[in-house]
Amino acid sequence: MNFGIVVFPGTNCDRDCYYVIKDILNQPVKFIWHKENDLRGVDCVVLPGGFSYGDYLRSGAIARFSPIMTSVREFADKGGLVIGICNGFQILTEAGLLPGALGRNIGLRFICKYVNLIIERNDTPFTSEFKKGEIVRMPIAHNEGNYYIDDLSKIEKQIVLRYYGENPNGALDNIAGIVNERGNVFGLMPHPERCSEKILGSEDGLRIFKSIVRAL
Amino acid sequence: MMEKVKLIYEGKAKRVYSTTEEDKFIIEFKDTATAFDGLKKAEITGKGEANCFISSKIFELLTIKGVKNHYIKRLSERDMLVRSVKIFPIEVIIRNRVAGSMAKRLGLEEGKVLEKPVLEFCYKSDELHDPMINEDHILALGLAKEEELSTIKEMSLETNRILIEFFKKCNLDLVDMKFEFGKDSEGDIYLADEISPDTCRLWELGTTMSWDKDRFRRDLGDVEEAYREVKERVMNTPIESNARILIRLKPSILDAQGSVILNALKSLGYSEVLEVRVGKLLELKLDRKIDEPERIEKMCKELLANPVMENYEWEWVE
Repeated sequence: MNFGIVVFPGTNCDRDCYYVIKDILNQPVKFIWHKENDLRGVDCVVLPGGFSYGDYLRSGAIARFSPIMTSVREFADKGGLVIGICNGFQILTEAGLLPGALGRNIGLRFICKYVNLIIERNDTPFTSEFKKGEIVRMPIAHNEGNYYIDDLSKIEKQIVLRYYGENPNGALDNIAGIVNERGNVFGLMPHPERCSEKILGSEDGLRIFKSIVRAL
Repeated sequence: MMEKVKLIYEGKAKRVYSTTEEDKFIIEFKDTATAFDGLKKAEITGKGEANCFISSKIFELLTIKGVKNHYIKRLSERDMLVRSVKIFPIEVIIRNRVAGSMAKRLGLEEGKVLEKPVLEFCYKSDELHDPMINEDHILALGLAKEEELSTIKEMSLETNRILIEFFKKCNLDLVDMKFEFGKDSEGDIYLADEISPDTCRLWELGTTMSWDKDRFRRDLGDVEEAYREVKERVMNTPIESNARILIRLKPSILDAQGSVILNALKSLGYSEVLEVRVGKLLELKLDRKIDEPERIEKMCKELLANPVMENYEWEWVE
Protein backbone atom coordinates (compact mmCIF):
# COMPACT_ATOMS: atom_id res chain seq x y z
CA MET A 1 0.00 0.00 0.00
CA ASN A 2 1.76 3.12 -1.26
CA PHE A 3 0.53 6.48 -0.01
CA GLY A 4 1.25 9.77 -1.75
CA ILE A 5 0.76 12.95 0.25
CA VAL A 6 0.27 16.03 -1.94
CA VAL A 7 1.92 19.19 -0.66
CA PHE A 8 0.62 22.58 -1.82
CA PRO A 9 2.10 25.90 -0.78
CA GLY A 10 0.41 26.49 2.57
CA THR A 11 -0.34 22.84 3.36
CA ASN A 12 0.50 22.19 7.03
CA CYS A 13 -0.85 18.75 7.97
CA ASP A 14 1.32 16.83 5.51
CA ARG A 15 3.90 15.78 8.11
CA ASP A 16 1.27 14.59 10.58
CA CYS A 17 -0.21 12.32 7.91
CA TYR A 18 3.25 11.12 6.95
CA TYR A 19 4.04 10.25 10.57
CA VAL A 20 0.83 8.26 11.03
CA ILE A 21 1.24 6.30 7.81
CA LYS A 22 4.98 5.66 8.12
CA ASP A 23 5.65 5.40 11.86
CA ILE A 24 2.39 4.04 13.18
CA LEU A 25 1.18 1.92 10.28
CA ASN A 26 4.58 1.09 8.70
CA GLN A 27 3.32 1.74 5.20
CA PRO A 28 5.40 3.17 2.34
CA VAL A 29 4.62 6.87 1.87
CA LYS A 30 6.06 9.85 -0.01
CA PHE A 31 5.42 13.55 -0.38
CA ILE A 32 4.34 14.78 -3.81
CA TRP A 33 4.94 18.46 -4.57
CA HIS A 34 1.88 20.00 -6.20
CA LYS A 35 3.82 20.93 -9.35
CA GLU A 36 4.55 17.31 -10.11
CA ASN A 37 2.17 15.17 -12.13
CA ASP A 38 3.40 11.64 -11.65
CA LEU A 39 1.27 9.34 -9.50
CA ARG A 40 2.74 6.08 -10.76
CA GLY A 41 3.08 3.52 -7.99
CA VAL A 42 0.71 5.38 -5.69
CA ASP A 43 -2.32 3.47 -4.36
CA CYS A 44 -3.86 6.19 -2.24
CA VAL A 45 -3.56 9.96 -2.66
CA VAL A 46 -3.84 12.07 0.50
CA LEU A 47 -4.78 15.76 0.17
CA PRO A 48 -3.90 16.96 3.65
CA GLY A 49 -5.17 19.93 5.61
CA GLY A 50 -3.75 23.41 5.79
CA PHE A 51 -4.20 26.71 4.01
CA SER A 52 -3.25 26.05 0.42
CA TYR A 53 -2.54 29.38 -1.27
CA GLY A 54 -3.47 31.16 1.93
CA ASP A 55 -7.14 30.29 1.37
CA TYR A 56 -7.16 33.27 -1.01
CA LEU A 57 -10.36 33.78 -3.00
CA ARG A 58 -11.97 30.66 -1.46
CA SER A 59 -10.45 27.71 0.38
CA GLY A 60 -9.10 25.29 -2.21
CA ALA A 61 -10.08 27.50 -5.17
CA ILE A 62 -6.56 28.02 -6.44
CA ALA A 63 -4.97 24.73 -5.36
CA ARG A 64 -7.31 22.87 -7.65
CA PHE A 65 -5.47 24.32 -10.67
CA SER A 66 -2.10 22.89 -9.56
CA PRO A 67 -0.63 20.44 -12.09
CA ILE A 68 -0.96 17.48 -9.72
CA MET A 69 -4.74 17.89 -9.64
CA THR A 70 -5.02 16.85 -13.29
CA SER A 71 -3.27 13.60 -12.34
CA VAL A 72 -5.41 13.22 -9.21
CA ARG A 73 -8.53 13.52 -11.36
CA GLU A 74 -7.29 10.84 -13.78
CA PHE A 75 -6.25 8.67 -10.84
CA ALA A 76 -9.71 8.99 -9.28
CA ASP A 77 -11.40 8.31 -12.64
CA LYS A 78 -9.50 5.04 -12.81
CA GLY A 79 -10.75 4.10 -9.35
CA GLY A 80 -7.72 5.10 -7.27
CA LEU A 81 -8.36 6.00 -3.63
CA VAL A 82 -8.28 9.70 -2.77
CA ILE A 83 -8.79 11.12 0.70
CA GLY A 84 -9.08 14.86 1.29
CA ILE A 85 -8.83 16.06 4.86
CA CYS A 86 -10.12 19.50 5.82
CA ASN A 87 -8.49 21.80 3.23
CA GLY A 88 -8.11 18.65 1.13
CA PHE A 89 -11.90 18.22 1.27
CA GLN A 90 -12.32 21.85 0.22
CA ILE A 91 -9.97 21.30 -2.72
CA LEU A 92 -11.91 18.20 -3.80
CA THR A 93 -15.22 20.10 -3.85
CA GLU A 94 -13.66 23.05 -5.70
CA ALA A 95 -12.23 20.58 -8.22
CA GLY A 96 -15.63 19.00 -8.67
CA LEU A 97 -14.35 15.58 -7.56
CA LEU A 98 -16.88 15.75 -4.73
CA PRO A 99 -20.26 17.51 -4.88
CA GLY A 100 -21.21 20.60 -2.89
CA ALA A 101 -19.12 23.34 -1.34
CA LEU A 102 -17.74 24.36 2.04
CA GLY A 103 -18.75 27.82 3.19
CA ARG A 104 -17.84 29.87 6.18
CA ASN A 105 -18.68 28.47 9.64
CA ILE A 106 -22.01 29.75 10.81
CA GLY A 107 -20.45 31.35 13.92
CA LEU A 108 -17.79 33.07 11.78
CA ARG A 109 -15.07 31.66 14.02
CA PHE A 110 -12.23 29.29 13.40
CA ILE A 111 -13.17 26.20 15.40
CA CYS A 112 -10.52 23.89 16.84
CA LYS A 113 -11.93 21.19 19.10
CA TYR A 114 -12.95 17.57 19.44
CA VAL A 115 -16.40 16.70 18.06
CA ASN A 116 -18.56 13.61 18.09
CA LEU A 117 -19.24 11.97 14.75
CA ILE A 118 -21.56 9.21 13.68
CA ILE A 119 -20.41 6.69 11.10
CA GLU A 120 -23.21 6.55 8.52
CA ARG A 121 -21.49 4.14 6.15
CA ASN A 122 -18.90 1.50 6.80
CA ASP A 123 -19.06 0.01 3.32
CA THR A 124 -16.44 2.40 1.94
CA PRO A 125 -12.70 1.74 1.60
CA PHE A 126 -12.19 4.49 4.20
CA THR A 127 -14.49 3.33 6.99
CA SER A 128 -14.48 -0.47 6.98
CA GLU A 129 -12.82 -0.53 10.43
CA PHE A 130 -15.90 1.08 11.98
CA LYS A 131 -19.36 -0.17 12.76
CA LYS A 132 -22.34 1.51 11.12
CA GLY A 133 -23.96 3.92 13.58
CA GLU A 134 -20.87 4.01 15.80
CA ILE A 135 -20.08 7.29 17.55
CA VAL A 136 -16.44 8.36 17.31
CA ARG A 137 -14.41 11.39 18.41
CA MET A 138 -12.10 13.40 16.18
CA PRO A 139 -10.83 16.97 16.23
CA ILE A 140 -11.87 19.60 13.73
CA ALA A 141 -9.87 22.76 12.98
CA HIS A 142 -11.38 24.96 10.32
CA ASN A 143 -12.98 28.24 9.37
CA GLU A 144 -14.85 26.94 6.31
CA GLY A 145 -16.57 23.67 7.14
CA ASN A 146 -20.14 24.64 6.53
CA TYR A 147 -21.14 22.05 3.95
CA TYR A 148 -23.70 23.17 1.40
CA ILE A 149 -25.37 21.66 -1.64
CA ASP A 150 -28.45 22.81 -3.59
CA ASP A 151 -30.15 19.48 -3.62
CA LEU A 152 -29.41 17.27 -0.64
CA SER A 153 -31.39 14.36 -2.06
CA LYS A 154 -28.76 13.93 -4.78
CA ILE A 155 -26.03 12.98 -2.29
CA GLU A 156 -27.94 11.43 0.59
CA LYS A 157 -26.43 8.02 -0.11
CA GLN A 158 -22.93 9.49 -0.20
CA ILE A 159 -22.88 10.77 3.36
CA VAL A 160 -20.28 8.87 5.38
CA LEU A 161 -19.81 11.03 8.47
CA ARG A 162 -22.20 13.31 10.32
CA TYR A 163 -21.62 15.55 13.31
CA TYR A 164 -23.35 13.92 16.23
CA GLY A 165 -25.00 15.90 18.99
CA GLU A 166 -23.75 19.37 18.24
CA ASN A 167 -23.34 20.77 14.72
CA PRO A 168 -20.25 22.98 15.08
CA ASN A 169 -20.27 24.88 11.81
CA GLY A 170 -23.79 24.94 10.38
CA ALA A 171 -23.14 22.16 7.86
CA LEU A 172 -26.25 21.10 5.99
CA ASP A 173 -27.75 17.90 7.42
CA ASN A 174 -24.77 17.73 9.84
CA ILE A 175 -22.54 16.54 7.02
CA ALA A 176 -18.91 16.07 8.08
CA GLY A 177 -17.68 13.71 5.36
CA ILE A 178 -18.88 12.39 2.00
CA VAL A 179 -17.70 10.08 -0.75
CA ASN A 180 -18.26 10.37 -4.49
CA GLU A 181 -20.82 8.13 -6.15
CA ARG A 182 -18.26 5.50 -6.96
CA GLY A 183 -17.01 5.54 -3.36
CA ASN A 184 -13.29 5.93 -4.06
CA VAL A 185 -12.97 9.66 -3.26
CA PHE A 186 -13.54 10.71 0.35
CA GLY A 187 -13.58 14.18 1.84
CA LEU A 188 -13.95 14.96 5.52
CA MET A 189 -13.56 18.03 7.73
CA PRO A 190 -12.24 16.22 10.87
CA HIS A 191 -8.52 15.45 11.13
CA PRO A 192 -7.99 11.67 11.56
CA GLU A 193 -4.21 12.17 11.56
CA ARG A 194 -4.51 14.19 14.77
CA CYS A 195 -6.17 11.35 16.67
CA SER A 196 -4.20 8.28 15.74
CA GLU A 197 -2.39 7.66 19.00
CA LYS A 198 -3.72 7.10 22.48
CA ILE A 199 -1.52 9.85 23.91
CA LEU A 200 -3.44 12.36 21.79
CA GLY A 201 -6.74 11.44 23.35
CA SER A 202 -8.25 9.27 20.65
CA GLU A 203 -7.23 6.58 18.22
CA ASP A 204 -10.39 6.79 16.14
CA GLY A 205 -8.54 8.51 13.32
CA LEU A 206 -6.12 5.68 12.89
CA ARG A 207 -8.99 3.40 11.95
CA ILE A 208 -9.56 5.46 8.81
CA PHE A 209 -5.98 4.88 7.68
CA LYS A 210 -6.26 1.22 8.70
CA SER A 211 -9.41 0.89 6.60
CA ILE A 212 -7.52 2.24 3.58
CA VAL A 213 -4.67 -0.22 4.14
CA ARG A 214 -7.18 -3.02 4.43
CA ALA A 215 -8.90 -1.97 1.22
CA LEU A 216 -5.81 -2.65 -0.84
CA MET B 1 -24.43 28.39 -30.90
CA MET B 2 -26.93 30.81 -32.35
CA GLU B 3 -28.03 29.93 -35.87
CA LYS B 4 -29.34 31.87 -38.83
CA VAL B 5 -33.01 31.19 -39.40
CA LYS B 6 -34.21 33.43 -42.21
CA LEU B 7 -32.67 36.08 -44.42
CA ILE B 8 -34.60 39.21 -43.61
CA TYR B 9 -32.57 41.83 -45.39
CA GLU B 10 -29.79 41.90 -47.92
CA GLY B 11 -27.86 45.11 -48.46
CA LYS B 12 -24.84 45.98 -50.53
CA ALA B 13 -22.30 44.82 -48.00
CA LYS B 14 -24.27 42.77 -45.47
CA ARG B 15 -26.98 40.20 -44.97
CA VAL B 16 -29.19 40.24 -41.91
CA TYR B 17 -30.74 37.03 -40.59
CA SER B 18 -33.30 36.34 -37.94
CA THR B 19 -32.33 33.82 -35.25
CA THR B 20 -34.15 31.45 -32.94
CA GLU B 21 -34.36 34.35 -30.48
CA GLU B 22 -36.70 37.12 -31.41
CA ASP B 23 -34.55 39.90 -30.02
CA LYS B 24 -31.37 38.88 -31.81
CA PHE B 25 -30.16 39.11 -35.42
CA ILE B 26 -27.08 37.78 -37.13
CA ILE B 27 -25.26 40.15 -39.48
CA GLU B 28 -23.13 38.52 -42.15
CA PHE B 29 -20.45 40.69 -43.72
CA LYS B 30 -20.00 40.28 -47.50
CA ASP B 31 -16.99 40.90 -49.67
CA THR B 32 -19.08 42.95 -52.11
CA ALA B 33 -18.39 46.67 -52.34
CA THR B 34 -20.45 49.28 -54.15
CA ALA B 35 -20.03 53.01 -54.61
CA PHE B 36 -21.73 55.93 -56.31
CA ASP B 37 -25.24 54.75 -55.53
CA GLY B 38 -24.48 51.26 -56.79
CA LEU B 39 -22.97 52.27 -60.13
CA LYS B 40 -19.61 50.84 -59.20
CA LYS B 41 -19.47 47.34 -57.85
CA ALA B 42 -16.74 44.81 -57.05
CA GLU B 43 -15.74 41.86 -54.89
CA ILE B 44 -12.94 42.65 -52.46
CA THR B 45 -11.49 39.45 -51.03
CA GLY B 46 -11.29 39.57 -47.25
CA LYS B 47 -13.33 42.75 -46.86
CA GLY B 48 -16.24 41.04 -45.11
CA GLU B 49 -13.96 39.40 -42.61
CA ALA B 50 -11.97 42.59 -41.98
CA ASN B 51 -15.11 44.65 -41.42
CA CYS B 52 -16.59 42.04 -39.10
CA PHE B 53 -13.48 42.04 -36.90
CA ILE B 54 -13.04 45.81 -36.98
CA SER B 55 -16.70 46.50 -36.17
CA SER B 56 -16.72 43.96 -33.35
CA LYS B 57 -13.71 45.45 -31.67
CA ILE B 58 -15.01 49.00 -32.04
CA PHE B 59 -18.45 48.11 -30.73
CA GLU B 60 -16.79 46.45 -27.74
CA LEU B 61 -14.77 49.58 -27.09
CA LEU B 62 -17.95 51.65 -27.28
CA THR B 63 -19.72 49.30 -24.87
CA ILE B 64 -16.87 49.69 -22.41
CA LYS B 65 -17.09 53.45 -22.80
CA GLY B 66 -20.82 53.37 -22.17
CA VAL B 67 -22.18 53.97 -25.67
CA LYS B 68 -25.17 51.70 -26.15
CA ASN B 69 -24.86 49.69 -29.35
CA HIS B 70 -26.45 46.66 -30.90
CA TYR B 71 -23.37 44.40 -30.72
CA ILE B 72 -23.59 41.23 -28.62
CA LYS B 73 -20.71 39.13 -29.88
CA ARG B 74 -18.77 37.99 -32.88
CA LEU B 75 -19.82 34.47 -33.86
CA SER B 76 -17.31 33.71 -36.60
CA GLU B 77 -15.05 35.45 -39.08
CA ARG B 78 -18.01 37.03 -40.86
CA ASP B 79 -20.96 36.71 -38.54
CA MET B 80 -21.87 39.05 -35.75
CA LEU B 81 -24.69 38.56 -33.26
CA VAL B 82 -26.59 41.77 -32.56
CA ARG B 83 -29.65 42.95 -30.73
CA SER B 84 -32.55 43.27 -33.13
CA VAL B 85 -33.48 46.91 -33.43
CA LYS B 86 -35.71 48.88 -35.73
CA ILE B 87 -33.45 51.12 -37.78
CA PHE B 88 -34.32 54.82 -38.08
CA PRO B 89 -34.37 55.72 -41.80
CA ILE B 90 -31.67 58.31 -41.15
CA GLU B 91 -27.98 58.24 -41.96
CA VAL B 92 -25.95 60.33 -39.58
CA ILE B 93 -22.67 61.65 -40.91
CA ILE B 94 -20.13 63.22 -38.63
CA ARG B 95 -17.14 65.06 -40.02
CA ASN B 96 -13.87 66.17 -38.44
CA ARG B 97 -12.23 67.23 -41.71
CA VAL B 98 -13.63 68.25 -45.05
CA ALA B 99 -13.75 65.38 -47.54
CA GLY B 100 -15.95 63.71 -50.15
CA SER B 101 -19.37 65.20 -50.78
CA MET B 102 -18.82 68.10 -48.37
CA ALA B 103 -15.78 69.28 -50.35
CA LYS B 104 -17.69 69.00 -53.63
CA ARG B 105 -20.91 70.59 -52.42
CA LEU B 106 -19.34 73.56 -50.67
CA GLY B 107 -16.28 74.01 -52.85
CA LEU B 108 -13.91 73.43 -49.97
CA GLU B 109 -10.50 71.90 -50.09
CA GLU B 110 -10.29 68.24 -48.99
CA GLY B 111 -8.50 67.80 -45.69
CA LYS B 112 -9.40 71.15 -44.13
CA VAL B 113 -9.80 70.59 -40.38
CA LEU B 114 -13.23 71.55 -39.03
CA GLU B 115 -13.15 73.53 -35.82
CA LYS B 116 -15.91 71.43 -34.34
CA PRO B 117 -17.47 68.23 -35.68
CA VAL B 118 -20.12 68.79 -38.36
CA LEU B 119 -23.22 66.61 -38.22
CA GLU B 120 -25.22 65.88 -41.38
CA PHE B 121 -28.33 63.80 -41.88
CA CYS B 122 -29.54 61.92 -44.95
CA TYR B 123 -32.94 60.39 -45.47
CA LYS B 124 -32.44 56.69 -46.23
CA SER B 125 -34.45 56.16 -49.38
CA ASP B 126 -33.19 54.30 -52.45
CA GLU B 127 -35.89 55.92 -54.56
CA LEU B 128 -34.81 59.42 -53.63
CA HIS B 129 -31.10 58.50 -53.56
CA ASP B 130 -30.63 59.30 -49.85
CA PRO B 131 -31.14 63.06 -49.94
CA MET B 132 -29.52 65.28 -47.34
CA ILE B 133 -32.05 66.65 -44.84
CA ASN B 134 -31.99 68.77 -41.72
CA GLU B 135 -33.37 68.24 -38.22
CA ASP B 136 -36.67 69.93 -39.02
CA HIS B 137 -37.14 67.60 -42.00
CA ILE B 138 -36.56 64.64 -39.70
CA LEU B 139 -39.28 65.83 -37.34
CA ALA B 140 -41.62 66.88 -40.17
CA LEU B 141 -41.28 63.48 -41.86
CA GLY B 142 -41.68 61.77 -38.49
CA LEU B 143 -38.43 59.85 -38.97
CA ALA B 144 -37.63 60.27 -35.28
CA LYS B 145 -39.07 62.07 -32.30
CA GLU B 146 -37.42 65.17 -30.95
CA GLU B 147 -35.92 63.50 -27.88
CA GLU B 148 -34.81 60.55 -29.99
CA LEU B 149 -33.03 62.91 -32.34
CA SER B 150 -31.27 64.62 -29.49
CA THR B 151 -30.13 61.24 -28.09
CA ILE B 152 -28.88 60.27 -31.55
CA LYS B 153 -26.91 63.51 -31.83
CA GLU B 154 -25.38 63.11 -28.38
CA MET B 155 -24.42 59.48 -29.03
CA SER B 156 -22.90 60.47 -32.40
CA LEU B 157 -20.72 63.16 -30.86
CA GLU B 158 -19.64 60.88 -27.99
CA THR B 159 -18.79 58.02 -30.37
CA ASN B 160 -16.81 60.44 -32.51
CA ARG B 161 -14.82 61.62 -29.47
CA ILE B 162 -14.02 58.06 -28.44
CA LEU B 163 -13.08 56.90 -31.92
CA ILE B 164 -10.86 59.88 -32.77
CA GLU B 165 -8.75 58.84 -29.77
CA PHE B 166 -8.84 55.15 -30.60
CA PHE B 167 -7.91 55.56 -34.27
CA LYS B 168 -5.09 57.90 -33.28
CA LYS B 169 -3.59 54.95 -31.39
CA CYS B 170 -3.84 53.01 -34.69
CA ASN B 171 -1.97 55.90 -36.36
CA LEU B 172 -5.13 56.77 -38.28
CA ASP B 173 -6.90 60.08 -38.63
CA LEU B 174 -10.69 59.78 -38.41
CA VAL B 175 -11.84 62.16 -41.14
CA ASP B 176 -15.55 61.37 -41.13
CA MET B 177 -17.95 58.50 -40.55
CA LYS B 178 -21.50 57.36 -41.05
CA PHE B 179 -23.82 55.96 -38.40
CA GLU B 180 -27.15 54.26 -38.30
CA PHE B 181 -29.25 54.04 -35.17
CA GLY B 182 -32.12 51.82 -34.16
CA LYS B 183 -34.46 51.32 -31.25
CA ASP B 184 -35.59 48.18 -29.47
CA SER B 185 -39.10 47.28 -28.35
CA GLU B 186 -38.57 49.27 -25.15
CA GLY B 187 -37.77 52.41 -27.13
CA ASP B 188 -34.08 52.39 -26.10
CA ILE B 189 -31.77 53.76 -28.76
CA TYR B 190 -28.75 51.81 -29.97
CA LEU B 191 -25.93 52.60 -32.33
CA ALA B 192 -26.32 49.96 -35.05
CA ASP B 193 -24.98 48.89 -38.48
CA GLU B 194 -21.20 48.66 -38.67
CA ILE B 195 -18.16 50.82 -38.06
CA SER B 196 -15.45 49.95 -40.56
CA PRO B 197 -13.44 51.37 -43.45
CA ASP B 198 -16.71 51.16 -45.42
CA THR B 199 -18.36 53.68 -43.13
CA CYS B 200 -15.37 55.75 -41.99
CA ARG B 201 -12.78 57.82 -43.82
CA LEU B 202 -9.44 56.95 -42.29
CA TRP B 203 -6.21 58.65 -43.31
CA GLU B 204 -2.69 57.80 -42.30
CA LEU B 205 -2.07 60.17 -39.41
CA GLY B 206 -0.45 63.40 -40.58
CA THR B 207 -1.04 62.70 -44.29
CA THR B 208 -3.96 62.49 -46.69
CA MET B 209 -3.25 58.89 -47.56
CA SER B 210 -6.47 56.98 -47.57
CA TRP B 211 -6.91 53.59 -45.84
CA ASP B 212 -10.66 53.28 -46.39
CA LYS B 213 -13.25 52.65 -49.08
CA ASP B 214 -11.97 55.68 -51.01
CA ARG B 215 -9.23 53.39 -52.28
CA PHE B 216 -12.01 51.55 -54.10
CA ARG B 217 -14.15 54.60 -54.96
CA ARG B 218 -11.23 56.48 -56.44
CA ASP B 219 -9.29 53.53 -57.89
CA LEU B 220 -6.28 54.12 -55.69
CA GLY B 221 -5.27 50.44 -55.81
CA ASP B 222 -4.26 48.01 -53.04
CA VAL B 223 -7.86 47.87 -51.86
CA GLU B 224 -7.59 44.41 -50.28
CA GLU B 225 -4.37 45.34 -48.52
CA ALA B 226 -5.98 48.46 -47.08
CA TYR B 227 -8.79 46.53 -45.38
CA ARG B 228 -6.29 44.02 -44.09
CA GLU B 229 -4.01 46.76 -42.80
CA VAL B 230 -6.80 48.55 -40.93
CA LYS B 231 -7.92 45.25 -39.44
CA GLU B 232 -4.37 44.49 -38.28
CA ARG B 233 -3.95 47.89 -36.69
CA VAL B 234 -7.34 47.84 -34.99
CA MET B 235 -6.92 44.31 -33.67
CA ASN B 236 -3.43 45.05 -32.34
CA THR B 237 -4.41 48.20 -30.52
CA PRO B 238 -5.12 47.41 -26.89
CA ILE B 239 -8.29 48.64 -25.29
CA GLU B 240 -7.59 49.25 -21.68
CA SER B 241 -10.68 48.46 -19.74
CA ASN B 242 -11.83 47.78 -16.24
CA ALA B 243 -14.36 45.20 -15.23
CA ARG B 244 -16.07 45.11 -11.89
CA ILE B 245 -17.23 41.71 -10.72
CA LEU B 246 -19.64 41.32 -7.88
CA ILE B 247 -19.82 37.91 -6.23
CA ARG B 248 -22.60 37.16 -3.79
CA LEU B 249 -23.75 34.21 -1.78
CA LYS B 250 -26.85 32.68 -3.31
CA PRO B 251 -30.04 33.95 -1.68
CA SER B 252 -30.75 30.44 -0.36
CA ILE B 253 -27.57 30.50 1.74
CA LEU B 254 -27.61 32.02 5.18
CA ASP B 255 -25.09 34.83 5.31
CA ALA B 256 -23.76 34.64 8.87
CA GLN B 257 -21.50 37.64 8.39
CA GLY B 258 -24.45 39.63 7.10
CA SER B 259 -26.54 38.75 10.15
CA VAL B 260 -23.79 39.85 12.54
CA ILE B 261 -23.48 43.16 10.72
CA LEU B 262 -27.25 43.53 10.75
CA ASN B 263 -27.26 43.09 14.53
CA ALA B 264 -24.44 45.61 14.94
CA LEU B 265 -26.35 48.15 12.85
CA LYS B 266 -29.50 47.53 14.84
CA SER B 267 -27.69 47.97 18.14
CA LEU B 268 -26.47 51.33 16.83
CA GLY B 269 -30.07 52.34 16.33
CA TYR B 270 -30.41 51.73 12.58
CA SER B 271 -33.67 49.89 12.99
CA GLU B 272 -34.62 50.49 9.35
CA VAL B 273 -32.09 47.89 8.15
CA LEU B 274 -33.89 44.64 7.43
CA GLU B 275 -31.18 42.51 5.90
CA VAL B 276 -27.45 42.66 5.18
CA ARG B 277 -25.75 40.45 2.61
CA VAL B 278 -21.97 40.55 2.27
CA GLY B 279 -20.37 39.94 -1.12
CA LYS B 280 -17.02 40.24 -2.80
CA LEU B 281 -16.07 42.97 -5.22
CA LEU B 282 -13.28 42.26 -7.68
CA GLU B 283 -11.84 44.94 -9.94
CA LEU B 284 -10.00 43.73 -13.00
CA LYS B 285 -7.83 45.89 -15.18
CA LEU B 286 -7.60 44.38 -18.61
CA ASP B 287 -5.57 44.94 -21.69
CA ARG B 288 -7.87 43.49 -24.24
CA LYS B 289 -6.22 42.72 -27.52
CA ILE B 290 -8.40 39.67 -27.66
CA ASP B 291 -11.99 40.34 -28.66
CA GLU B 292 -13.68 37.45 -26.91
CA PRO B 293 -16.50 38.94 -24.91
CA GLU B 294 -17.23 35.77 -22.97
CA ARG B 295 -13.84 35.67 -21.35
CA ILE B 296 -14.91 37.43 -18.17
CA GLU B 297 -17.85 35.05 -17.90
CA LYS B 298 -15.38 32.21 -18.23
CA MET B 299 -13.14 33.68 -15.54
CA CYS B 300 -16.10 33.84 -13.18
CA LYS B 301 -17.20 30.29 -13.91
CA GLU B 302 -13.73 28.76 -13.83
CA LEU B 303 -12.27 30.46 -10.80
CA LEU B 304 -13.72 33.63 -9.37
CA ALA B 305 -17.10 32.35 -8.18
CA ASN B 306 -18.11 28.97 -6.82
CA PRO B 307 -21.34 28.12 -8.63
CA VAL B 308 -22.54 25.91 -5.76
CA MET B 309 -22.67 28.79 -3.29
CA GLU B 310 -22.28 31.99 -5.23
CA ASN B 311 -23.83 34.10 -7.96
CA TYR B 312 -21.92 36.70 -9.90
CA GLU B 313 -22.57 39.67 -12.08
CA TRP B 314 -20.16 42.01 -13.80
CA GLU B 315 -19.99 45.24 -15.71
CA TRP B 316 -17.52 47.43 -17.51
CA VAL B 317 -16.45 50.46 -15.57
CA GLU B 318 -14.62 53.58 -16.70
